Amino acid sequence: MRAVFGRVWRQPVGRLGLLLVVAVLLLGVIGPPLAPYDPNKLNILARFGAPSTAHWLGTDHLGRDLFSRTADGGRVALLVALSTIAIALAVGTLLGIAAAYASPWGERAILVVFDIVSAFPTLVFALAVVALLGPGLDKVILIVAITLIPHFGRVARAQTLSLRNSPFLEAERVLGAQPWRITAHHLVPNILGPLVVLASMDIPVVITIEAGLSFLGVGVPPPRASWGTLLHDGYTTLSQSPWPVIVAAGMLTLATLGFTLFGEALRDAIDPKLRVEP
Amino acid sequence: MATLNRRQLLAAGAALGVAGTSFSLPVLAQSGRKSVTLALPRDVQPPFDPLNRLSFPEGNLLRVVLQGLIAFKPGSFEWELSAAKRIEQVSDTVIEFELKPGLRFHGGFGELTADDVKFSFERAIKPGADGKPVLYSTDFAALEEVEVTGTHSGRIRLKTPAPALWQVALPDISGLIISRKAYEAGAYRADQPTKVIGTGPYLLKEWRPNERVVLQANPEFQGPKPGFEEIILRPVRDSKTAELAFRADELQFTAIEPANAADIAKIPGAKILKQDSINFVWIGVNVEKPPFNDPRVRRAIRLAIDVDQVIEGAYNGAVGRAYGPVAPGLLGNWKDAPRHARDVAAAKKLLAEAGVPALRAKLTLLNKPAYQNAGIIVQAQLAEAGITLDLDVQEGGSFWSAGNGEAGKNLELSLQRFGGKADPSFQLQWFTASQIGSWNWQRWNSPEYDALFAKAGGVTDPAERARLYIEAQKLIDESAAFIWLTHEVNVYALKDWLTPGILPNGDDQLYNRFSPA
Repeated sequence: MRAVFGRVWRQPVGRLGLLLVVAVLLLGVIGPPLAPYDPNKLNILARFGAPSTAHWLGTDHLGRDLFSRTADGGRVALLVALSTIAIALAVGTLLGIAAAYASPWGERAILVVFDIVSAFPTLVFALAVVALLGPGLDKVILIVAITLIPHFGRVARAQTLSLRNSPFLEAERVLGAQPWRITAHHLVPNILGPLVVLASMDIPVVITIEAGLSFLGVGVPPPRASWGTLLHDGYTTLSQSPWPVIVAAGMLTLATLGFTLFGEALRDAIDPKLRVEP
Repeated sequence: MATLNRRQLLAAGAALGVAGTSFSLPVLAQSGRKSVTLALPRDVQPPFDPLNRLSFPEGNLLRVVLQGLIAFKPGSFEWELSAAKRIEQVSDTVIEFELKPGLRFHGGFGELTADDVKFSFERAIKPGADGKPVLYSTDFAALEEVEVTGTHSGRIRLKTPAPALWQVALPDISGLIISRKAYEAGAYRADQPTKVIGTGPYLLKEWRPNERVVLQANPEFQGPKPGFEEIILRPVRDSKTAELAFRADELQFTAIEPANAADIAKIPGAKILKQDSINFVWIGVNVEKPPFNDPRVRRAIRLAIDVDQVIEGAYNGAVGRAYGPVAPGLLGNWKDAPRHARDVAAAKKLLAEAGVPALRAKLTLLNKPAYQNAGIIVQAQLAEAGITLDLDVQEGGSFWSAGNGEAGKNLELSLQRFGGKADPSFQLQWFTASQIGSWNWQRWNSPEYDALFAKAGGVTDPAERARLYIEAQKLIDESAAFIWLTHEVNVYALKDWLTPGILPNGDDQLYNRFSPA
């Protein structure tokens, strides 16, 4: 692991990505407790404030502190991204492995489900779920996780198919190891590398989807902050103050850029064919 | 920027009307503009039937495809003759009319006759094919019958005097005349939405759902030629999107957020029209659903809300506060209505007495920025009184059906906005028991209110009518099921070459009076 991160750090692009990722993580994890104000505390008379010593990033259209809301929105973005990726990775990997080992009929059935889920537009799916269940953070996580499961499932299936007849797995089977033991102790660790790279590359995608859903009003319900709702609120009051849009768009840009650069560097560091040695 | 307050607007109504009329005369050839694109706040929804319309976007569409006996003048609630050559109230309960001869329904449905008037108006007092009354039956509640005295003449006979008929029915949407033959051939129904047969200045040429409505000048129309050969109505739900479309000249007229008026006024070739509105916005509480059926809980909610702060935050202080559904300047406005002030301690005490010190409630509201901001502010205010408020933000389609039928029983709090008309009977009709399950989302049922409302409708003395409507509003206030927020303000962005045709409530627009200035 240290060697992998060392290789990431040695790439200038990887270093920039890692620094941005660490900054976003710090903002999401320690930002809210350190924030000077309650992110939902209204102060109508102080609305549309420019950055100042009292409000480092200014205030929004209801006088709420933008730094506190940005930090809280960062926490929401990370919570959605990490929990979504964790669910999609776990379920997708299991289904992918199951597809690889299943009968042709079973494999076909799983792949058809993947195709159906992939073919369904995320936004339409989100609107349908919200109409049925109402808006909420848990619904956002559910929506995005379901749409990402085929992504991980297909990679897990392909990796499993390439390893299924490997000599070391054959040896385990000959020695009488149980299928679950072979899967847990030998198969999963060997297919996890590409899946982790995929997960790191998907984090910015998830952050963007969450922000997009929240921007459209079907994501995180008010008053909870999300970078998407900050952007939407700022957009509707752009002529009064540009700061909410600048802050929210800036955070989205830095977070997606950071996770993308970091993911690409991680991929290069793990894949020996793409490895860039200094 | 032109700014009118409500009183100036109503007082100057006639002058504006004259101005609007003069501008709407055929100046098309001079300007060379044949088409104009106007914003709709949402897409229209069938049926396009005057007595079963959903709301004002459908009404405005019908207003130019059909004709009534009389019609409003732009900028005022005064009326002028339309399909009628003559109309006269000959007694408290009889109105005589004579139609202009030769008015022809398009599509080959023949001449408009007194029999069509009888058919159109009496639909309001007869149950429809499904056995239910039409949606706007109360507009003609006093109607007994329409007596046909000739091909072009007739008498409207009333059960009781009905002064409101001259404001909310005859010159308005409910008073539009449809063709009996066309109706019997399936027109005006939801399953054939573009089959709207009329004698008005425009034809409904096309309706592409969620995209556009196209109105084309009716070549057979016998009145003043409309200002444009073609009017395109584009539904744009998001006000910011509408502003951007206006900047890009994709729209030549749109309602905008009041706070953005000064910025948009700087756009070359743009002008701003601002007028106080007579609409009303309020938070309603469902009085049937526990624990909101306890008046102490409703009073606690009202005490916990600081309306002035809501207005300041949600509307940037650009609108005035409302103290009832009838706006200042209108008959029946309750000048001495109580000014409920915020008292969090009293609210907590009432909740404790009601046995719900930690109340959880849901506020259903439309996904417009001002309403969402109002919801967030109310949420914060109620939290200080120990009330946890969940916001259920809905888009237009689902929101406007949230209070209907069985679904309405599950509503708790709702933030609503209704359009106003010149006569208070229009504003107050929604709170009668007959509207429960339709538009009375509070499900408030007061026989005393219904009796006052019915009695006021038959009184011809304006002072007595005003007194009765104020008495009715006192009952509304006692229920504590209504927290009045504002009458709003209407702000429009339009091109400087365009003269609009707008009624004082803002929602009602006369597309045939839009013209190139």
